[in-house]
Amino acid sequence: MSSFALKSFTGLRQSPTDQITLVSHVPSSLSLPHRRTSLRVTASRASPKLANRTLRVAVIGGGPAGGAAAETLAQGGVETILIERKMDNCKPCGGAIPLCMVGEFNLPLDIIDRRVTKMKMISPSNIAVDIGRTLKEHEYIGMVRREVLDQYLRERAEKSGATVINGLFLKMDLPEEWDSPYVLHYTEYDGKTGATGQKKTMEVDAVIGADGANSRVAKSIGAGDYDYAIAFQERIRIPDDKMTYYEDLAEMYVGDDVSPDFYGWVFPKCDHVAVGTGTVTHKGDIKKFQLATRNRAKDKILGGKIIRVEAHPIPEHPRPRRLSKRVALVGDAAGYVTKCSGEGIYFAAKSGRMCAEAIVEGSQNGKKMIDESDLRKYLEKWDKTYLPTYRVLDVLQKVFYRSNPAREAFVEMCGDEYVQKMTFDSYLYKRVAPGSPLEDLKLAVNTIGSVFRANALRREIEKLNV
Amino acid sequence: MSISMALFSPPFSSSSLQNPNLTPKISLSLSLLSTKRFSLLSVTRASSSDNGASTPDSAAVSATTVEIPKPVEEAPVKSPPAESSSAASEDGGEETDLPTTTTEIKFQDAKWVNGTWDLKQFEKDGKTDWDSVIVAEAKRRKWLEDNPETTTNAEPVLFDTSIIPWWAWMKRYHLPEAELLNGRAAMIGFFMAYFVDSLTGVGLVDQMGNFFCKTLLFVAVAGVLFIRKNEDFDKLKGLFEETTLYDKQWQAAWKEPESSSSSTVSSKK
Repeated sequence: MSSFALKSFTGLRQSPTDQITLVSHVPSSLSLPHRRTSLRVTASRASPKLANRTLRVAVIGGGPAGGAAAETLAQGGVETILIERKMDNCKPCGGAIPLCMVGEFNLPLDIIDRRVTKMKMISPSNIAVDIGRTLKEHEYIGMVRREVLDQYLRERAEKSGATVINGLFLKMDLPEEWDSPYVLHYTEYDGKTGATGQKKTMEVDAVIGADGANSRVAKSIGAGDYDYAIAFQERIRIPDDKMTYYEDLAEMYVGDDVSPDFYGWVFPKCDHVAVGTGTVTHKGDIKKFQLATRNRAKDKILGGKIIRVEAHPIPEHPRPRRLSKRVALVGDAAGYVTKCSGEGIYFAAKSGRMCAEAIVEGSQNGKKMIDESDLRKYLEKWDKTYLPTYRVLDVLQKVFYRSNPAREAFVEMCGDEYVQKMTFDSYLYKRVAPGSPLEDLKLAVNTIGSVFRANALRREIEKLNV
Repeated sequence: MSISMALFSPPFSSSSLQNPNLTPKISLSLSLLSTKRFSLLSVTRASSSDNGASTPDSAAVSATTVEIPKPVEEAPVKSPPAESSSAASEDGGEETDLPTTTTEIKFQDAKWVNGTWDLKQFEKDGKTDWDSVIVAEAKRRKWLEDNPETTTNAEPVLFDTSIIPWWAWMKRYHLPEAELLNGRAAMIGFFMAYFVDSLTGVGLVDQMGNFFCKTLLFVAVAGVLFIRKNEDFDKLKGLFEETTLYDKQWQAAWKEPESSSSSTVSSKK
């Protein structure tokens, strides 16, 4: 059926060289067993030109991923509709963005509440290590309020030409034929609080699912499940004299009491601090871990008042299927949160942008219909650019978060200047910098030494237990 | 022997500094060992090994040496409540106050000064007794594991385990274990060589020339190294699966299933 459609539109194709692309062009490094099906996939280069209309794409979810995607789509000439269920949503979030995000997304500096330039890592035995000596003057970790950042990105998308709708996505009808539209069912709120909103439907050519960890778009396309961590956070307003300590400093607590497989944190926000922790394996004990985190920071948050308690799931790895025909997932919906640090904002925004760029390119600025292979280009580019980063962080989490001795070794390693430089370089600029081999060797030796010492002390502790 | 007995009679009195008298006696009485440096090692090893093959000398001396490093004055001290700030008033019923004043149980030790171990207090014969530093730090960590404590800016913890020299760690942990493993490997090796020789008539030198025997040797060495307890076998299997799991989860997107089943088992590489 598709090959028949191919023939009829041959005359409308822009460049005749597209004929060659009938051969499978699946990347060789990720070769698939079902090569024959990929023939259909490459038909996109010969996709039909849309007669007297531009491509319509719906972005479900108006967080960083949705906002960035909608902006790029709108700028690329695609008709974009952004559906967000709660315009003033304060997503529970650490709120840390790397330096490169400010530059890449042209964020105004007043969005950033605080610039964190110092971090303290605190081991299970309360050995504290200061990190940040290697940061240069202009380098920092930006702390933002999610409601401010999300709103800004959505407004920018609207200014670029996207239509922003306040509505709740319910479900989606998948197309019967290859060029039928997707029918979205959603409830539109007309701005009056407390109103139940009215059910509406919309037809679009493609969908970007940016609706977060509990993505409904993912459910609609059968993307599969992932393991997730529960992040639990309390916002605490502390007295001013204690707040000066956290002026530009964030803390990370590691230990079995704080979390068996993650870390507890104290992050400064605009006028209060966020104290929280997370876990994958022991979700039922999260309250206990939170109490332990508060206990570890007790002296520093003495006299504080809890103003808000919040929790949210964080994906641990990508979903098995991140796209299906003309629906792609980005951000938390796809599961793009790194291990070890749990960073998600930058990757959400970047994946939204990358997916939108792939759509714009595949549709040639909205003039042609796109196909799955255009969206696969986004997946390829994403995996190629960021898989090393994800892998490294996964290894770090596996090695250093597994037990108290490992955490002690981790904190000791963080005291090393070279480690700090490499860590900040890779975090702030999102590149896995090569570094010098000699220093790497020294680092390896030091790591082994730290791990050995910590494990030796653990054996000593066990001897004392007897 | 009588000398060590005489020393042993006053039971672990007062401080850990009675060692200057003990050390020369240890090296004399333990004539089995060549160097003075290893005297401390074998003494502590004798105490930790379960086989009763240690000589009465070393047993008596080891008991003393193990007891001495214990910081006798370590007792949980209830420190006065930390900075008491005025309790903030509750408003709205949504906000909850954190406890402002509490009695705290803190780690206290005479040798723990300013957030680190005061090495001068661990001196024995003019040299620092690293073993006791290690044991002290282990005690501190155990205490904190059982009673997690708040960190405070007034007394930051600065201790870095790398100030303990590498040879102290080696002596205390690596060498005993290495001896154990070498012993196991030697026993296995001897009996396997005898067994194979009795079955096939191939002598030891000829066995080493055979590929199959070399493989067996490799397996035996690897087994002794990696499998030290029964649980290690399953642990290793789990570790291997763990290393490849994340990659599999990422490559799942490229598996291109036609049905909507989302299996993450088969890997691409």
